[in-house]
Amino acid sequence: MHKVWAVIRREFVERVRTRWFWISAILGPVLFGGVIVYQIMQSVGGGVRDIAVVDSTTSAFGRRVTEALAASPNFRVTRVPAGPRVIDSLTSLVEAKQLNGFLIISNDLTETGKAEYRASNLSLQTVEGLERALNKVAVKVRLETRGVNPAVVDWAQGIRITLDQTKIARGKTTKESAGESFILAYVMAVLLFMAILLYGVNVMSSVLEEKTTRVIEVLVSSLRPFQLMLGKVAGAGAVSFFQFLIWGVSARLLISLRVPIARALGADASAAAGMKLPHIPFATLVVFMAFFLGGFLLYSAMFAAVGAMSSNEQEARQAQQPVTYLLMISYFSIIGLTNDPSSTFARTLSIVPFTSPIATPVRWTAGSMGVGELGASLAMLLIGIVAITWVAARIYRVGILMTGKRPTMKELVRWVRA
Amino acid sequence: MSEPVVVDRATKRFAGHTAVNALSLSVPSGIIYGLLGPNGAGKTTTLRMIMDIYEPDEGSVRLFGQVGGGRTHSARIGYLPEERGLYPRMRVVDVLVFLAEAKGMSRRAARIKALDWLERLGLIDWRLRKVSDLSKGMQQKVQFISTILHDPELVILDEPFSGLDPVNSQVLRDTVVDYRRRGKTVLFSTHIMEHAEQLCDRLCIIARGKKLIDGTLAEVKRTHGGQHLIVAFDGSQGAAQRIFSDRRLVAKIQDFGQQAELELTNGADPQEILRGLVESGARLARFELASPSLHKIFVDLVGPEAATAAAIPATTAAGVGAGA
Repeated sequence: MHKVWAVIRREFVERVRTRWFWISAILGPVLFGGVIVYQIMQSVGGGVRDIAVVDSTTSAFGRRVTEALAASPNFRVTRVPAGPRVIDSLTSLVEAKQLNGFLIISNDLTETGKAEYRASNLSLQTVEGLERALNKVAVKVRLETRGVNPAVVDWAQGIRITLDQTKIARGKTTKESAGESFILAYVMAVLLFMAILLYGVNVMSSVLEEKTTRVIEVLVSSLRPFQLMLGKVAGAGAVSFFQFLIWGVSARLLISLRVPIARALGADASAAAGMKLPHIPFATLVVFMAFFLGGFLLYSAMFAAVGAMSSNEQEARQAQQPVTYLLMISYFSIIGLTNDPSSTFARTLSIVPFTSPIATPVRWTAGSMGVGELGASLAMLLIGIVAITWVAARIYRVGILMTGKRPTMKELVRWVRA
Repeated sequence: MSEPVVVDRATKRFAGHTAVNALSLSVPSGIIYGLLGPNGAGKTTTLRMIMDIYEPDEGSVRLFGQVGGGRTHSARIGYLPEERGLYPRMRVVDVLVFLAEAKGMSRRAARIKALDWLERLGLIDWRLRKVSDLSKGMQQKVQFISTILHDPELVILDEPFSGLDPVNSQVLRDTVVDYRRRGKTVLFSTHIMEHAEQLCDRLCIIARGKKLIDGTLAEVKRTHGGQHLIVAFDGSQGAAQRIFSDRRLVAKIQDFGQQAELELTNGADPQEILRGLVESGARLARFELASPSLHKIFVDLVGPEAATAAAIPATTAAGVGAGA
């Protein structure tokens, strides 16, 4: 045990001493800080769009649209009568960044419901705002042409319906919007994928280094290959936990400092304080960490075997591809998983050990998984880890002492059986 | 006290070729033991079996009288593999401490010892530098320190002199001799007979995975080189001609008149010849036993084998065995 501990410590200390560890440790919080600053800047007034309304209507419709848009805090509007070359000159204004975009409306808008918006940047928020304003004015005009009292129309439109969203999951209800769950699940899946891949590959290159430098011979005569592999995987795992810890603590710190940051940027401090933060329940955090750990163990055992069977970097890069593809399956399924977390597809992914490390936390976060199913997924993952580690350790044991050409599939099978 | 190393009929095969074939040897305590053989004879494979890097297909290895190879006893053994290597990106002192820890030494003790050795070999100023910053010769020293840092009872060195510069070679030789003086055991492999002749108390010559001969240096010379005797006369030769023509004693003779060089038969006692000569009234100016060099014995024994050693096919499934 003392020996395994020595391997773990070496792996940890040597990794943490590298420049790359600290670059990524700093890059995380910098990115996160950027997101916060961006959100604050948005609330300060970065969200106001300068647009023109190209009006070819013969009624007062164009003017009413312009007024409706001007009433919104998100737009600064100018009405331009349609004419020859107007579109061209507005286009050049957009290109010169003096205008965000322009809206083209005509008489048949109230009949066909069609209008056009041209802009340098088509954000969802802007388009939705324009559509909402146009809709409101168009409906009002149509009702008026059938003789409805404008005051009645105003009264009728003076209501906005919002859905109070409540998630029912595992016998509890939580206030959480669909968007929030989706984003949380998505971020988790991407983090899991990156971390497993990054630190798994670390294990591989560490195995390879011992092989190419021939340190392995002294090590194998002092430790059992399995002790060595165990120490390596645990050491690399500890590094990734440390990395997560740095990110987590700095994110927490940045969030708690958001009000002073907002003040420093001259923004409304109360807006920053009320900033929407995703709520992460403790159980979700535990599931996330458990499946990260499981996935990491599973994949780094495979990466260790890949490192052991290769003699140089190029060979290893080729040999790691099947393992990477296996991990990619769950990465490419993230969208499918988050869209319908209770589908048969999602259920299957969360029970297969190779995909469950990503699929299960996503489904759990989305609230479509019972404790029973979670237990089954975890049990399958554990069985997978034991089986894969057993196979990987046997390949590792023979592979680390081998040089020369890469083993064929047949030879690998022989190693495992030996 | 039981013998530090006993190899009992060990056999190791790689992809259809037998690297070591039913090899038995035993290394007594407190001596320098040489494992000699041409390239490809199975020296490295034998040492790797002793060190638990390979498991013998047949036969067994016992260390310090207990079942189990080098890994079980790693705290008591220092091993210098044929292919040297250290972590290039680690600091010198960290590498030494880690490798000692892997052998079961405590971290604190390993650190003290490492600094002590670095001081002794003039590398103390380099302790915090990366291994890759060191020259080849300095890396060899560091590697050597890592072998003996934990003060092992048994040191196993695989081709220790290959690639060493003269200075390091001398450091190594001094340390090996010093080790024996302190009652420790050294087992080393080499294909350079001069080293073996200078250092070994006992030796074992192998070729193609089989043992050809083992014993003390004197025994090997007596039984396998044949004994040479130089006799020079001062006047009377007595019954010299009758004694020299005794086929029980003398296998070959070169007679130069006043001096003769005899190659004695196996088991012939030179004292018997001396007694015969003196009793017959011969006056001797010179009576000298000349043993052939280890080099000559080696070439006589493995000559034809050594010539074909290079033709042994490289193994694939465990290619490292090929260099043995």
